[in-house]
Amino acid sequence: MAWYIGRRILQAIPVLLGSTLLIYAMVFAMPGDPIVALFGEKPVSEAVRSQIEQQYNLDKPFFVQWLLFLGNAAQGDLGMSFSGRPVSELLAETIPVTFKLALMALVIEAVLGIIAGFYAGLKRGGIFDSTMLVTSLLVIAVPIFVFGFVMQLTFGVKLGWAPVTVGGDASWDRLIIPAFVLGLVSFAYVLRLTRTSVVENLTADHVRTARAKGLTDGQVNRRHVLRNSLIPVVTYLGADLGTLMAGAIVTEGIFNIPGLGNLAFRAIQQKEGPTIVSVVTVMVLIYVVMSLIVDLLYAWLDPRIRYA
Amino acid sequence: MPEFPADVPRAALPGQERFVAPLDQTPLAETGSFDDSRPPENQWKEAWKRLRRNWIFWVSVALLAVVAVVVLLPQWFTDLDPTYAQLSRSLEGPSEGHPAGFDRQGYDVFARTIYGARASVLVGVLCTIVVTVPGVVLGAMAGFYGGWLDAVISRVADVFFAIPLLLGALVGLAIINNLWPDRGYWGSILTVVFALAAFGWPQVLRIARGAVLEVKNLEFVDAARAIGKTRRANLWGHVVPNSLAPVIVLATVSLGVYIVAEATLSFLGLGLPPSIVSWGNDISAAQNQVRSGQRLGVMFWPASALALTSLGFILLGDAVSDALDPKSRNRE
Repeated sequence: MAWYIGRRILQAIPVLLGSTLLIYAMVFAMPGDPIVALFGEKPVSEAVRSQIEQQYNLDKPFFVQWLLFLGNAAQGDLGMSFSGRPVSELLAETIPVTFKLALMALVIEAVLGIIAGFYAGLKRGGIFDSTMLVTSLLVIAVPIFVFGFVMQLTFGVKLGWAPVTVGGDASWDRLIIPAFVLGLVSFAYVLRLTRTSVVENLTADHVRTARAKGLTDGQVNRRHVLRNSLIPVVTYLGADLGTLMAGAIVTEGIFNIPGLGNLAFRAIQQKEGPTIVSVVTVMVLIYVVMSLIVDLLYAWLDPRIRYA
Repeated sequence: MPEFPADVPRAALPGQERFVAPLDQTPLAETGSFDDSRPPENQWKEAWKRLRRNWIFWVSVALLAVVAVVVLLPQWFTDLDPTYAQLSRSLEGPSEGHPAGFDRQGYDVFARTIYGARASVLVGVLCTIVVTVPGVVLGAMAGFYGGWLDAVISRVADVFFAIPLLLGALVGLAIINNLWPDRGYWGSILTVVFALAAFGWPQVLRIARGAVLEVKNLEFVDAARAIGKTRRANLWGHVVPNSLAPVIVLATVSLGVYIVAEATLSFLGLGLPPSIVSWGNDISAAQNQVRSGQRLGVMFWPASALALTSLGFILLGDAVSDALDPKSRNRE
């Protein structure tokens, strides 16, 4: 087991390095002069320019810049934003907000998706099943921001039950509607995954055995069908946390939530290199860590899987 | 070992009884009666048979047929020019000849919805092609040859896969928008296509590689090798055609998903430029009218058209997946 974890971490290193290199190269290719952007309207003197270039290593070749970035990042220094604040500080402010939002979305999609998928699978072909299947397809087909606007209009503007935009105060209750919107697409996938899995398990040998030994329908469904059906669902949910945090870019825009997605979007618009690279690095890290956790979770949930 | 008396049959050793039906009761002819005069049905023909019986397939075909006509011949559905603005009629409701009313700029919403189909469908279709071809070629090579080639291809794919699709595409588009601001209709469409495809191909690669790994050790591949096929001929002639099923399912479903992704990029302001009539741009432009509850129709029309189109592809993917997956035959 320890051997497997060690190997997985070693495998993750080239991915992490490659992803940062890729995004660093893309940001490097961005036109525009970051020093001019830093000074805005004011003219920049040659002396100041060369000093800044030296300070931020802008005079060095691309590859050296990337290595220096990695070295500094490892020490917690991710560079400065154009507004003059350290990127690490910006990340420390925004990551908790987006993490909270993504976690709420994950809980919402898991609870709703598993319950709906479970009952749809038990009564396959019934009215509830058909309704849920159509709903899930619609949810995947309609862009998330359309749902966002509709929810914002209904609950924020018309009914007044929730704030129209979240703004600076990102507390749990104010994030419920955005979290619901964010988790909607994944809800559809969780529902479909649970349903397929339940349908497969209903005809499995161990379920027939459980029925044969005299358990009631409820006991069989809960203890044998549901529990075994959750294996693929749990692994999907684990991998989904990273997707949700990356997908928050749209939801955070609509509801004006000061999170990681908002930070990334503003950085892309203003071509703020250090911030873009840092946000993407955080996303890649989350992805790498979550996929490792998911693989380990898989073995724990399904003892048939062994790691060599 | 004790000697057995000659009259005791050896099969009757205690604990070792074998229940073999007497020869004269075994219908030997049965095994010979297998009809081998015709070649066995190929998997695509069988899949097509199952597909034909699925009503979901026909619903999706009907939807996509309508979309195809709208894309190819938008002038059949409206005489109006989608780029002709009458500011005096801004946000006017539906009227004679204008079933969907006008948007804020005074464009006819119905005409724009009809003409917007082309950009969205083009992005979806081109994206799927650009993602699938290299994904299948590289995935098949990685899975079939293994070794260092697999290691290199898979790690490179991992690097692209680890970067979230939307985020990567946004950064890519931000660069291209600056380097090459005015690039016309096809330039803009292709930019969005390649920005999405750059971070979408690893998904196809993973699926294709997995399918090839499953297929490459089956008997028919050995048989092909035994009759003297080269490794390359074996890969492209036998292994790849037999591992395409999951790729086709993924391609159909992701076509719908890419259409939604294009709309999302345009909504964020980095997709297609506003000069191109597209559903994503129109939905994005309508957001203020919806937020303030002024006129919902402005968003309703392009959003519904987009949803129905993407739904068509997703339903088709669902039906194809059921038809190609032999396991589902027992399920349904």
